[in-house]
Amino acid sequence: MKKKINQRLQIISYVVLTLGAITMVLPFLWMISTSLKSLGEVFVFPPTFFGEEIVWGNYPKVADRFPFGLFFLNSLKISFIVVFVQLFTSALAGFAFARLKFPFRDTLFALYLATLMIPYHITLVPIFVIMRYFGWIDTHYSLIIPSLVSAFGTFLMRQFFLTIPKELEDAARIDGCTPFGIFWRIFLPLSKPALATLGVFIFMGTWNDFIRPLIFINSISKMTIPLGLSAMQGMYSTDWPVLMAGSMISILPVLVVFIFAQEYFVRGITLSGLKG
Amino acid sequence: MKKLMLVILVIFGILVLNSLAMSADKVTLQFMGWEASPFETSITEQSLEQFMKENPDIKVEYTPVSGEYPAKLLTMIAGDAAPDVFFIASDSYRSFQKRGVLLNLTEYFNKEMDIDEFIPLAQDKMLINGEIYGVSSCDVSPVLFYNKKLFDEAGLPYPPNDPEKAWPWDKFVDVAKQLTVKKNGKTVQYGVSGFTIEWVSAFSAMVKSNGGRVFNEDYTELLLDSPEAKEALVEIKNLQRVYGVSPLVIANVQQGGISSTQMLQTGRLAMLVDGSWTLQQLAEMDFPLGIGVLPKFKEPVTIGQAHLYSAWIKTKHPDEAWKLIKFVSSREYQTKLVRTGIWLPNRMDMYEEENLANWMNPDVYPDDFGNMVKYFTNYAELWVAVKVPSEAWSIINEELGNFFVTDQSIDTVISRMKKRVDPILNK
Amino acid sequence: MYSDYFWAALFLLPNLLGFLVFILGPVIASFGLSFTSWDLLTPIKWAGLENYKTLISDQVFWKVFWNTIYFTVGTVPVGIILSLFLAIALNQKIKGIKIFRAVYFLPVISSTVAVAIVWQWLYNPEFGLLNYLLNLVGIDGPNWLAGITWAMPAVIIASVWRGIGFNMLLFLAGLQGIPETYYEAAKIDGANWWVLFKNITIPLLSPTTFFVVVISIINSFQVFDQIYVMTGGGPARSTSVLVHYLYQNAFQYFKMGYASAIGYVLFFLVFTVTLIQLKRAKNWVFY
Repeated sequence: MKKKINQRLQIISYVVLTLGAITMVLPFLWMISTSLKSLGEVFVFPPTFFGEEIVWGNYPKVADRFPFGLFFLNSLKISFIVVFVQLFTSALAGFAFARLKFPFRDTLFALYLATLMIPYHITLVPIFVIMRYFGWIDTHYSLIIPSLVSAFGTFLMRQFFLTIPKELEDAARIDGCTPFGIFWRIFLPLSKPALATLGVFIFMGTWNDFIRPLIFINSISKMTIPLGLSAMQGMYSTDWPVLMAGSMISILPVLVVFIFAQEYFVRGITLSGLKG
Repeated sequence: MKKLMLVILVIFGILVLNSLAMSADKVTLQFMGWEASPFETSITEQSLEQFMKENPDIKVEYTPVSGEYPAKLLTMIAGDAAPDVFFIASDSYRSFQKRGVLLNLTEYFNKEMDIDEFIPLAQDKMLINGEIYGVSSCDVSPVLFYNKKLFDEAGLPYPPNDPEKAWPWDKFVDVAKQLTVKKNGKTVQYGVSGFTIEWVSAFSAMVKSNGGRVFNEDYTELLLDSPEAKEALVEIKNLQRVYGVSPLVIANVQQGGISSTQMLQTGRLAMLVDGSWTLQQLAEMDFPLGIGVLPKFKEPVTIGQAHLYSAWIKTKHPDEAWKLIKFVSSREYQTKLVRTGIWLPNRMDMYEEENLANWMNPDVYPDDFGNMVKYFTNYAELWVAVKVPSEAWSIINEELGNFFVTDQSIDTVISRMKKRVDPILNK
Repeated sequence: MYSDYFWAALFLLPNLLGFLVFILGPVIASFGLSFTSWDLLTPIKWAGLENYKTLISDQVFWKVFWNTIYFTVGTVPVGIILSLFLAIALNQKIKGIKIFRAVYFLPVISSTVAVAIVWQWLYNPEFGLLNYLLNLVGIDGPNWLAGITWAMPAVIIASVWRGIGFNMLLFLAGLQGIPETYYEAAKIDGANWWVLFKNITIPLLSPTTFFVVVISIINSFQVFDQIYVMTGGGPARSTSVLVHYLYQNAFQYFKMGYASAIGYVLFFLVFTVTLIQLKRAKNWVFY
């Protein structure tokens, strides 16, 4: 009896999951299908999966006018720098909040926490003014510098560091280790999973960020992928094959990275859920 | 530890390298505009090559921008990172000048160009209190494009291209009805589209045609609440809601997903009200294209406007910027683009009989286009949006959008519009 | 050996500096800005409570306010229920779990802009895939993004589609954290699957559920990308939301003070809702 229920549940689950999976994948298949058609064949009813012939020309057409390779490199550069530095600053500060004693420590941390609830869009106007002051509008600095520090990252690292047993630290202190040594040789190595989690979050957030490049970047050569895509949409508004080709080009790299690094993504997300 | 230091160094290196700006001994001008078509951009770029040959000490970098152009330009100006020379839409020109961000070109202009060469509405457009802050690029007007094949099949006469023979509204609606075809309850062919498109602004011509006005003489009051104006607006809405001859089209950006030019080409649409600039694109599509004047209520009216070329007040190279502006607003440059159908001339003498052949390219313009020329010189009014603050004009478009797309009544919409707009006009 | 204070300063300084300049500073500056009138080009002017007074009578503001609520109510409950059931299904020791996970995560990692553009095409009333599929089952698809009734539901559907994978993974982690032994024990007592679900799964999953709910609501209040790309806020502002209106006021109309005021209203909204949830959490969240 138990086995039968289990089996039935399994089958139902399988069906549900497969239906859902089809819903997830269908838009992507449609995107590929449209990108391989010529413009005239797109406006037919009922829609066909393949046109009369497979048109590869939409892809070079997009890449021609929009340097997606450059967009990809820009996105990559910005995301990498932000991830790396933000992890560093968050870990350092997280350690200070978790393990060092200094006046107003807890009040300051509460302040950090409070800002988590504030929608970051509020800060866009003042940051724009600051960027203008430094002459960083339309440069990558405007996308990198403000993101080098994060209250969320600090919070996550502090929470994690709190869970590291005090004995390890005490032992190191007795051996005459400086706080930096403790941090560097004990805490950091132990926090690889937390760092990976945070790293994944930061990467995804920075990579897909749209509103900030929209506001700060103007020149085509400085655009990131989301912004480049939007610019392309502005230019080719109803040329769907070209638009789909462009979208495909922008998704492909992330897709490849994801397939190889799936484990890290997943672990990252699940860990954050458990900590939450 | 070592690996970490290496990574840090590399990143630092990237940041440093990035901050090393490229230096040049040539003057480099940043030139920004919007792209009306890829063909236009390529002609622009070719012409700029020629400019650079004639001016070896000036380099021009042209960036066509897509998206919200005025907002983008203003953000760049506000961010202290503006181009040296740029397109500026005629309805943003005065607002930008008021903000003090445009270079005063009056001295340059008076020395090297002559205001009286330009058609009257271009003069009116360029001069702000007798001073010049931008030079008009060309002229454009809304016209009526149509698919001759659909008219032939229905046995109907083509829309006239002589403004004196313009169709009265009722006759126009009648023709549109005959050209609207339904199959299985779905409309497969529409009679007309385009009266509600924001950037074509045909509504202001129709209001004027019916004897109404959008604003009063000194632009301090909105007059769309007059019965004539309301009648014209209601009739435009009726095209879609009552007569069913127009498809549902959102008054501003996102449309149903197929462009109206594609609909005209494939026979889904018989008549299209659109800016004269669309001629370039339509002439390249393979179908029998006709061009006519807009229908009239009482008088035949169209509007005229076009973007101007201006320079940033903080440009480091005002003299070179002027050289570029003079080049792109010159007769030669203009003629090249007029020949493609994307622009109409803005110089008086180009409209004279003997000069028409210079720009009326037979591959693009219909043979009898000469009949239509007087539409642009005698029956066109300067677009009213030029003389009012951008904020007021966008409220008008927003409310009109509400009117055309929802079920709100004309009285509700206009009174709300007036309440929002009049205070701005009087600031 | 230096005191802790010295080390604390060393560790904290870069972070604190960035925090003050790019987080706390702008938050406070923005508050101040909301009492001014400024277009970035001409000198800044004091406006007192003008902006807030205008907000109250601004019809457009109220429209976008309710649109934001509409969007949240449309995406959060449905999204959470769907992802919960998918997670439960995935937890049944199915073969090919990795493939399913990858497939469901695909929309999440794709750029919001790309997703929005693809859905725009899917929603095409005449040639889009969606209306075609509806047609096959005899439904006459509406105008979707081109009509005022269905534009927002269209954006909601696309957003739910995008976010399911993410929440599903969170729920999966939470489910996997529930020890099998509880289920075993209950089954021995003769409980059926509904009882198991109600008395074991739901309570033990509640911390995860709480996290998912809070994050989802905060995120949905701040939606921007899809709106900007798919509909531009239209038609007739039926899809415009708070962040979109903020963006327009700041970077299209250049009314910095007004935009900041809108931002603070958004903050207030998020703050209040989160606070309410934290308080009510005691009633249903078990640790």
